[in-house]
Amino acid sequence: MARLSVPTTARLPSSLRVDASTSAVTKVLNRLSRASLLSLVVDWLGESNQTLCPPLLRRDKEDDDDVDEFYPLAQSLEELRELYADMQAAKGSKREVVDRIVEGDWRMGLSLYQLAMADMRYLYDHPGSLKWIAYRIQQLKSPLNEAEADGAEKPDKETLAIPRFHPSTFLQNLQAEVLPDVKAHYNFDRPEGMPLWLLRIFILDSPYNTTLAVSNRTGDRATTSFDASRTLYIAFPDASPHIYISKSQSTGPAAPGESRSLHSLIVDGIPKALSRPRERYTLNKTNLSTKNLSGLLHIRGAGRTNAAGGGWGIYSELKPTDSPLNPILPTPPLSEDSSSEPMIDNRPVSRTHKRALGPEESRRERAIKRAKMAAQARFGSSAKVDDRKGMERLDIMIEDPFPNTPGVSAPQNEAEAGEAEELERSQSSKSKGRRSGLELEFEQVRDLAEIAGEGSREGTWKPNVRLTFQGSHVFAGIRQLVEAGVINGGRMPGWMTGEEGVSIGAVRDGRIRGHKGSGL
Amino acid sequence: MSSRTSQSPDLSVADKLDNEIAILRSQVGSLKRELKLQATTLLTADSTREIIRQGPDDDSKARIMAQSDQQIAHKQQCLYRACASVTALKIRDPDPNAVDEGNVLGLRFEVMSKSRFIRPYYVMLNRPYPDSRRLRIHRHTVPPSIPLAGLAARHLPAPRSGNDDHNAPQEQDLSRFARALRRELVRYQNRVGVIGDLRNSAGLESKKGKRKEVEFPIVDISAADAEIKQIRIQWADEKTGRLVMDDDGHILKMVVQGENGRDRETVRDLLGGSVRIEELTKRMSGD
Repeated sequence: MARLSVPTTARLPSSLRVDASTSAVTKVLNRLSRASLLSLVVDWLGESNQTLCPPLLRRDKEDDDDVDEFYPLAQSLEELRELYADMQAAKGSKREVVDRIVEGDWRMGLSLYQLAMADMRYLYDHPGSLKWIAYRIQQLKSPLNEAEADGAEKPDKETLAIPRFHPSTFLQNLQAEVLPDVKAHYNFDRPEGMPLWLLRIFILDSPYNTTLAVSNRTGDRATTSFDASRTLYIAFPDASPHIYISKSQSTGPAAPGESRSLHSLIVDGIPKALSRPRERYTLNKTNLSTKNLSGLLHIRGAGRTNAAGGGWGIYSELKPTDSPLNPILPTPPLSEDSSSEPMIDNRPVSRTHKRALGPEESRRERAIKRAKMAAQARFGSSAKVDDRKGMERLDIMIEDPFPNTPGVSAPQNEAEAGEAEELERSQSSKSKGRRSGLELEFEQVRDLAEIAGEGSREGTWKPNVRLTFQGSHVFAGIRQLVEAGVINGGRMPGWMTGEEGVSIGAVRDGRIRGHKGSGL
Repeated sequence: MSSRTSQSPDLSVADKLDNEIAILRSQVGSLKRELKLQATTLLTADSTREIIRQGPDDDSKARIMAQSDQQIAHKQQCLYRACASVTALKIRDPDPNAVDEGNVLGLRFEVMSKSRFIRPYYVMLNRPYPDSRRLRIHRHTVPPSIPLAGLAARHLPAPRSGNDDHNAPQEQDLSRFARALRRELVRYQNRVGVIGDLRNSAGLESKKGKRKEVEFPIVDISAADAEIKQIRIQWADEKTGRLVMDDDGHILKMVVQGENGRDRETVRDLLGGSVRIEELTKRMSGD
């Protein structure tokens, strides 16, 4: 340990130990399940991790002073490994493992690296625990003259360069952007089965990068600076000009404004760290935030699916039959000959079944099939319940004027009952953009409705309508409603299929406004 | 198969039957495909059409002729797709609120890789601008490693809004856009292919001992950036190298970092005066 603690701009070293009795440490450990905690400890005891998280071992075999303590120190790494492997095999409580770590083998403290590993493990165990916001990396125009340099930064729309990301260079540059009175610890990791790099940034409010930063002897304040730390995750998908940033989490009570400013500091620093001389980048919001990383990778990742959501997905799917050298005519989906359906033995059964049905029944069967076809046409193969790409929230604001049937004047002064009637009528007539068919939403609409006079066209009435869809997989739910015939698949607006790839949007003329429609 | 039965002699009758059914099903599938293929070939043959035309007039004749016409149209489309590599198609936007009544122009880009056609890339364009027939990219299946936005801004500019008229609005040039995009796609696919070739010639793909007997063999070759212009090479003795090539596969730079700084000797050994990346592939596979 360094004798002197001089304020520096360096980052926190991974080997820096945090007092094991700190509440934040036990909190991090207690979040994990017993099984993952034990496998984590086994990881710590691995050969490659010995420089960063060595356990406390008994040095002297004769030194038997504290044999009677509760967790006697092990003599060798092998002994410890065996001990924890035995614990993995046996049953027991999590408490026992945490106590053993905190009061036994790592009583000298856990290194920041260990804490980072524990946090990452929690994230992998609970993939939905963070909310990610997707940003697009966009190149800025390099100014040609003095006046342009002073003006606002303009995105370079004609650039052909694709931003490149190099983890260690990025970290070096990011550290230079972070202010000296904030210390951060960085940890890169590559989650299994996902093509992205995950960067964990652990932020401390301290000018020192030695143990002083994490000790509670800095003053007589009740909370240490460690308790007010914050964690931020940044994900860099491979071969994609996007970045996903998680909302920051603080381990202790912190003033909301302060944490936000730290967060924004980091967010501001990211494009600068990505930039190089004569090649500057900025981050643009893409109106998408979700808890599902694999869903994010689907619409903001590498590959072909970014700008071909919903029914357009059929153009990005891998089908071996779509080669120009294949002379067989493509069969329409859901037809009897479509080869992908392994229903060879079901088919004759359903056919004989159908023949036995009455006219009423067969009409219903046809309607169900039609609804299925409509769902297939609008959603393609996306929005399946089990595809694990679910978005859990969709917010839509409708900015369309209220659809008037011709001959009826604008219903500004009509009573609420009149409005409801109007709603029903518009539903049956050819209205735009509000065919959700959910009575509940309309009730909310009626509550929210206010007469918006400003900025609207002559004789139109623009109610303030916001729709929020919530659930484990919003678009799969809408698809199921279409398949069940609750929503008319043919007249459903495009944004309900998820093809726009946003989680919040304003709808005008029945389409999501502002979004360029193509991920461009 | 025999070893498996010997391992589990008590494989139940149901399992055996299931296996048999699965095999029979796959046979049915392949036979069906075969039948379809033969039928299409027969239907489009000139002599078949002649025979059908001379046959008696009835319902089935009209039906078969219609199917034959359809098949011939499809054949012609396939021919165009295989030869022209950029083809246009008409798509209807399923969104009831789509602009321009849902008319969408699709461009289909055929790219070959490893001597077969891969799944085509699509770009869908529509006309969203009022009082203008200009096109804009609506949807596409081009991966983000292709600078589609930049190409669109260069060749398919949006009509200028009234307030900034400091230079005259450019014309849109769809064919130039398509050509430029196709070029990018093919070059990208070729660079992807080169990585595979390099891995092959270094013996990384095959499990068997094709690998050359060197002291420190190459253990990994992978793309290091989105555009696949940089290649990361790793040796068994912790040396790492970076090779930079340009759009067309010319080797621009190569650096190898060993334990004690830069290792120029390995670079010379590896490249040996190669100018293009394909030459390096040949060198590595043992000349």
